[in-house]
Amino acid sequence: MASSSPSEPQRPLSPNIQLYRPQLTSVLSILNRLTGILLSIAAIALVIWLLAAAAGPQAYAIVQAALASWTGQVILFGCTFAFFLHFFGGIRHLVWDTVHGFELRTIYMSGWAVVAASIVMTAVAWIASVYIGR
Amino acid sequence: MIIDSSKQVSRNHLFKRFPIPTNFGVTKESRVDRGKAWPVPAGATRTKSFEIYRYDPDSGRGPHVDTFELDLDDCGPMVLDALIWIKSKVDSTLTFRRSCREGVCGSCAMNMDGTNWLACTRFISEMESPARIYPLANMKIIKDLVPDQTHVFAQYAAIEPWLQSKTPTPERERRQSVEERSQIDGYYECILCFCCTSGCPSHWWNGNRFLGPAVLLQAWRWLTDSRDEAAEERLDKLEDPFRLYRCHTILNCTRTCPKGLNPGKAIAHIKKTMIERQS
Repeated sequence: MASSSPSEPQRPLSPNIQLYRPQLTSVLSILNRLTGILLSIAAIALVIWLLAAAAGPQAYAIVQAALASWTGQVILFGCTFAFFLHFFGGIRHLVWDTVHGFELRTIYMSGWAVVAASIVMTAVAWIASVYIGR
Repeated sequence: MIIDSSKQVSRNHLFKRFPIPTNFGVTKESRVDRGKAWPVPAGATRTKSFEIYRYDPDSGRGPHVDTFELDLDDCGPMVLDALIWIKSKVDSTLTFRRSCREGVCGSCAMNMDGTNWLACTRFISEMESPARIYPLANMKIIKDLVPDQTHVFAQYAAIEPWLQSKTPTPERERRQSVEERSQIDGYYECILCFCCTSGCPSHWWNGNRFLGPAVLLQAWRWLTDSRDEAAEERLDKLEDPFRLYRCHTILNCTRTCPKGLNPGKAIAHIKKTMIERQS
């Protein structure tokens, strides 16, 4: 390795995440990871909801009230969007595992398709939930 | 919006950096501070501002960003021309690597407006105002825009990038068909500029053990070359959670390659071959 005697200063590291431009490639990739983490937490919340349903009407009422509140609905909406992003992103990854879709044009088209599909499916899910609820 | 070729510059003007502080998580010696604002050249009508990362190991001072005003009518069209103009007319201590000035040697690889590319093939007109010139991301800096590439070249040597054969050396050439020769197309053209490796977030976080896209692209170049006979041993060396498998198909590499190569695809080929040989 290059000289690093105590008298010479340590070489600085050039900026990486602080500088590098966010691009569809890196943004969708980190979103896949972040949605995965969010969904893991949401899975625990799902278990709490199911336990409350099994525990009886009082416990269930408390959890339902929390979910029906404004914060609850916003979080639920966010989780739906995260779910679809992760789902379609996951399919994109599975296609890549077959060594298909690596040309830049295809990478970008599939990337935007994932975003579009997630938005559409989140809207469909929420609109459908209004009708199913009736 | 849809990128067809890596030479297209990102057009989005909203999201130019991740929303984190400029010196987020950076060690004391790597902090980038504000530097000097150099004077505007006299008599220049069309000027452009260049913010350039500077670091002088002899000065006792940390890295900083100097701002230069470039006279566009006195300078060639490429960012490398701009750097040479600044070095010859304004500050002769500006240090950078350069050689071929035509995009084939890989010396002038650096980060311009947030993405890695070769300075000699990036038009000044494609740059933002002010243009931001930084060295390749996540590299130890020797001086100004010159990174220390010892580590990445050591990773390259580790994959044994030479022909290995077990059968006796033939009398004349090692013959291969046109089809076999086409297997290394898109991989042999790599100029080892390391734009891809220095733009890979996985290499930022695990660069000490993850080989990175440039080295893995070359690993595939040797795996797929019909004349090489050590494919099994090459693949054995990659059976490791870090060397190959830190790649999570982020694909910054393919997006940034100044030669239009596809390291992401090469790595996907290697991963598929690794699975296929197990069955």
